[in-house]
Parts: sequence; C-alpha cells; structure tokens
Amino acid sequence: MDVTNVMAHVASSVDVTNILVEVAPRFEGYVYPNEASPEPLWGILIVIYPYITGLVAGAFIMASLVRVFRVQALEPVYRLSLLTALSFMLCATMPLLLHLGHPERCYEIMMTPHLTSPMAIFGFVYAWYLMAVLLLELWFDYRQDFVEWSQTEPGFRGMLYRALMLGVTDESEAAVKLDMKLGWIISIIGIPSAFLLHGYVGFIFGSIKANPWWGNVLMPIIFILSAMVSGIALCVLNYMVLTWVRRKKIDMRCLDMMAMFLFYALVIDAAVEGLDWIHRIYSAEEDFSVIRYVATEKLFYTLNIGQALMGTVLPLLMLGLNQVVRKRLSDMARKRMYFASALMIVLGVFAMRWNVVIGGQLFSKSLRGFMSYKMQFIGMEGWLLGLVVLSIPFIILTVMIKLFLSERLPTAGHTPHPTPPSN
Amino acid sequence: MRLFNMPPQIVRLCLVTIGIVGSYLVARAVLTPPSFREYGFFRGDALKDIMALPPQYGGKVSCDECHSDQFTKLNKGGHKRLSCEVCHGPGYAHTQSPDAGMHKPTFTVCSKCHEANPSRPKTHKQIVLKEHYAGGKCMECHVPHSPAEVP
Repeated sequence: MDVTNVMAHVASSVDVTNILVEVAPRFEGYVYPNEASPEPLWGILIVIYPYITGLVAGAFIMASLVRVFRVQALEPVYRLSLLTALSFMLCATMPLLLHLGHPERCYEIMMTPHLTSPMAIFGFVYAWYLMAVLLLELWFDYRQDFVEWSQTEPGFRGMLYRALMLGVTDESEAAVKLDMKLGWIISIIGIPSAFLLHGYVGFIFGSIKANPWWGNVLMPIIFILSAMVSGIALCVLNYMVLTWVRRKKIDMRCLDMMAMFLFYALVIDAAVEGLDWIHRIYSAEEDFSVIRYVATEKLFYTLNIGQALMGTVLPLLMLGLNQVVRKRLSDMARKRMYFASALMIVLGVFAMRWNVVIGGQLFSKSLRGFMSYKMQFIGMEGWLLGLVVLSIPFIILTVMIKLFLSERLPTAGHTPHPTPPSN
Repeated sequence: MRLFNMPPQIVRLCLVTIGIVGSYLVARAVLTPPSFREYGFFRGDALKDIMALPPQYGGKVSCDECHSDQFTKLNKGGHKRLSCEVCHGPGYAHTQSPDAGMHKPTFTVCSKCHEANPSRPKTHKQIVLKEHYAGGKCMECHVPHSPAEVP
C-alpha cells in the first residue's frame, strides 16, 4: 500500500486526544475529506453497546438452559443469570443515549416510530425483550416468593415486594403451577427473542453494504454466537465471585456444566468466525487487500492477540482439556481454569466488538487509505466514561442480588421447571 | 380477583399491560408535536422556527450597494463564483449597520481551498503552505479579488 504524505490541512486540526499529550490524527494513503476527521464517528460507546446487548442475550440463553432444556445441574445459577440479563438490559441503551448526546430526547424514538429506520425498530425490539420477556419471566418465577417476603420483610423491602406482587396473593398449588407453566412458555418465546435482540445488533452492522468490513450476511449469526459465549462466561464469573464473596462452596456439578456449555458455544462460535475468515480469504474480493492490512496491522493486537488468541484459542484449549481429563483435575485446578477462561472470553468478546466497530472505520471507502484511532481518556468517547458505563450494570446487579437473591430471604423452593408442564 | 373466571395473575398482567399501552398512547398523544407529519416525517413547525431565526448572511448582491468597485473586480476574476461571505464571513449585521465589522480574512481562509490535498482536482491551484511561503501573508503577493492580478 502506497503511503503518501499526511494531509496538511487535516494535520492542522490537531485534537487533544489525551489529557497529557496532543496526538495528531494520522492518515495513510488516499482518504476522502469526509473521512479525515480527528476521530471516527463511532467510538468506545458504540463498542460497548453491542457488548452489553450481547451479554444480555447470552445470560438469558444461559437461564433458558434450565427452564426450557431442563439442565437441572444449572439450577443454582438460574436466577443469577436472569438478574444478570436484566441488569445489563437496563443499561443496554445507555451508551447509545450518551453517544447521541441528548438523552432527554430518548422517548422520541417511541413517540414517533419510524418503521424503516433500523435503530428506531431497535427501540421496539428492546421494549419487547425487556417488558414481554425478561420482566415477565422474572415475575412469574418470583411471584410466590414476593408473596412470602412481603409478609415477613418490614420497611422499604416489604413495600417493594408488595408492589411487585401486583396484588396477586394466591399461593395455591394450582396458581404456582400456572406460574411455572407461563414462565416456561415465556422462556420458549424468549430464546428466539434473545436471538432477535442480538441478531438485530449484528444486522445493524451487517446491513451496511457499503462497508466490506461490516456488510456481511454472517454478521448477525456471529453476533449471536459470540453473545452466547460472552453471556455464559459472564455468568460463570458472576457465580464464582458471588460464592467467593458469600464464602460458600461452589457447586462443582453446576460449574462443570456451565464450562461444558461454554466450551460447546465457543467451538461453534470459533467455527463460524473461522468460516467467515475462510470465505473472505478465499473469495479475496476487491476489498481484500484493505481488510488484510486492517486485520494484520491496524488491529493486530485486538484481533490476533485479543480476540483470536486470548478470547478463543486459549479458552478453547483450557476448556477442551477440562472436557477430556476433567476427572483427573482437582476442583481447585478446574475452578482456576474456568475462571481464567471465562475472564479471557469476556475480554476477548469485548475485543471482538472493538474490532467490528472500530475496524470498519479504519479504512477509507476509496479502499486506498487508512485512518487511525487514538482513544481519549476524558470526554464522551473516552475510556474513563466507557469504564463507568460498563460498571453500572454490575452496580445494578449488586443491588438486585441484595434484593432478590439475598441469603436471608427463604425461597419457595420450587425449581424453575424440573418436570414437563402437565397442566 | 376473579374476572371472567381467569386466574388472578393473568387478570393483573392484563391490567398492567392495558395500563402501559394506555400510558403510551396518552404520552404519544401529548408528546407528539401537533405539526408532526405536516410536510413529512418531521415537525412541521421546525421550518417556522428556522425561518424565525435572525439571518446570518446578507447575500452577495447586498455588498454591491457600497462596495461596487470590489464587487465588479471580483466578478471579472477567477474567484467570480465565490460569494463575498465565503472569505469575509457572515455579514447580515454589517448590511444593516456598517458599524458592525466584518471578518478580516487571513491565510487560513486561503489555505482552506488551496492547501494541497490529493482529493482535489489537479486543475485546482494547490500549494503546501509551509513550503510555498512560511510568512503566512498571502496578500503580499496575491490579490484575492482578482487572483490573476499582480500587486
């Protein structure tokens, strides 16, 4: 690739990209004037948006393994997975609202719905998933407990549980059976809904046909699979951290089962992402030289080291080893390997989102030039705000665990759905 | 609560759903601007709001009233397709009151169009400013109102 001079008029628009040093935007080759901005239009906040949405979908699918597919070993993490999904769901639109810069206008997307705008439709996909799937499933699962807790808990907690009861105090066997049946139905509806939610995020990128890095029919599928992987990995981490905080013993049967599903999901995800690359490399379309340069130079660390090695190969080896020689490994060794794998996967999927969002903005539409991105520290697209946005779901989850997964509060004891619904 | 012999959970959820959908419809009726869709998928009154804003630009013809010599010169030269306000900045206030000053162009105005940029057509005159003249005073050698003229 022919590297020509830095365009002087663009170099003059030096932007403060860090609190300490000024870094001039750098361009290589031929870049159109509209692409020669100091930083890409979509920064870290747009990276976080599909990341959080993916964690929601993945955590929900983790929960549905218990309810729909009746994997009873995973029961200890059923509610934790659902609460994880809800905590992240409540923050899913936050990076978008912050990125757009006028969060007070958020309601307008719903007031004047535009049926041909992908982002406007996302408002309805989001609302459906939050209101009709997540909250309903949680309500049916918790209803009996709300009735109990509202009678025993004083003060604010009692009021909260009474409000969440919605005035239904029926605890008869038939009513609880109905709760479980309806929860099961919603969970079944929830699986395609979770696929729709995150597949839709993939579609938003995949439908940008002008950009060869994004415009790809496999994009929604890759997004869904990586979402499942990241969601399950997050549940593994949450479960291990929660039991450590509570000084409880980890249910190894449950953890082994989670690791098994994590491994299978990762195998499928790695296979489909590999297929995508094989297709790109073999077909080698006119944009391939640019894509190759982006993959091997511009995104070397985040794609090859972060996404491929740390996020895929090492966890595959570790989790795969556990599948083969699980019985020979001690509980402590397995726990350490699961924790390390889950952590690497969570970081690797974040790198994947980074590669998709930022990678697509690092080369010119002319296919003959490259832009660069230096992330700010402070500011709306700075990594400080990114960290804050990413930490908010964990704060919400902590509050939810205190309120709805407290050790102090006795649960009704019914399993999500151990037997097929007979009513 | 027994309504039509339905289980109480279903009745409550139906009521909550009706409440949410009803609130949405009420909110939509209240919060959607009345002029929405008047001309298209936007608030019709937005056009009136924009029209009510004070004008910023006076337009090229208004300059002719007082600066006809420069105006005539400009219209004969290579910059004839440019409006005065491209270099001098918005001047509506100046057209209303000559006391309101105008922006005095510096080399940055020239470099906006003439700094070398590979995306510009070859026929367009371009220089690398730092190599061409580091002094930054273009008008020592060039006459912007008549680029072909030598001062």
